[in-house]
Amino acid sequence: MATHPEEKIDEMLKTRRIQAANPDLAQRIILKAQMTPQAQVFSLGRWIKQTFAELHLPNPAYVLAATLMMGFVLGLNVPSDTAPENADAVQALIFLDPDEGLL
Amino acid sequence: MPVAWPEKDDEELLSLIQDGSQQAFSVLVQRHTERFYRLAYRYTQNREAAEDVVQDAFVKLWEDPGKWQADRNNKFTTWFYRVVVNLCLDWQKRKKPIELGDQELTMADDRDSPDIAILHAEKQKILEKEIAALPERQRTALNLCFDEGLSNHEAAEVMGLKLKALQSLVMRAKTTLKERLKNYL
Repeated sequence: MATHPEEKIDEMLKTRRIQAANPDLAQRIILKAQMTPQAQVFSLGRWIKQTFAELHLPNPAYVLAATLMMGFVLGLNVPSDTAPENADAVQALIFLDPDEGLL
Repeated sequence: MPVAWPEKDDEELLSLIQDGSQQAFSVLVQRHTERFYRLAYRYTQNREAAEDVVQDAFVKLWEDPGKWQADRNNKFTTWFYRVVVNLCLDWQKRKKPIELGDQELTMADDRDSPDIAILHAEKQKILEKEIAALPERQRTALNLCFDEGLSNHEAAEVMGLKLKALQSLVMRAKTTLKERLKNYL
């Protein structure tokens, strides 16, 4: 039991009585919120998130797109082994050039 | 593996509430209703009023969850304590000074004998009356510091004060109470 007035005040403050809330208070709040529409506030972060969510593609689509991209990149970088379409004509000209030179 | 709802922290739940998740809101309400009710009751000394304050605070949060911003507020509870305190102060401004009725007399400890119980209840009634008469900031400091689960540091954060300033407010409040309640100590 506290004897000093300071301690007695502390004890009184610590033992302030509180009438218990209705046990269904939390449920009431939840129900009330369910009937209340949520305000749509603009937030840049949320907008970006939503936009990305809208553009979300399933994983196979990303795999296909990535494969195509790789194909294009490789295709453009590897030198072509195939001869040009007029390769025969070029060869003929090379062959004929020296003779024509003599004339 | 996805984290179960009750294991999500407040900030995660708030982020989901901002995306319209009612389930996240339910978890948050069930987790914190009791503690905020206790604080509201300390101000209002009336069950219905305290319940209304807590309900208002949560419904406002649901209506406009964007008010809580993770980058500005470190902790949801610190911010929400402030919301509840402000609603309680608004409520008090609208109401006339607290008049404690006979119902408070029945709130004494059941283990006490009837005489002691009545004496305790009477002391409580006078204590509440004197706390209600304290300046607003002193009253808030007292209510927050003697609320279970809230450290002095957190209470100072809720009030936007340095720890020393909060301790000074509590000290002044206790000195006033000691003076006014000297016949009951």
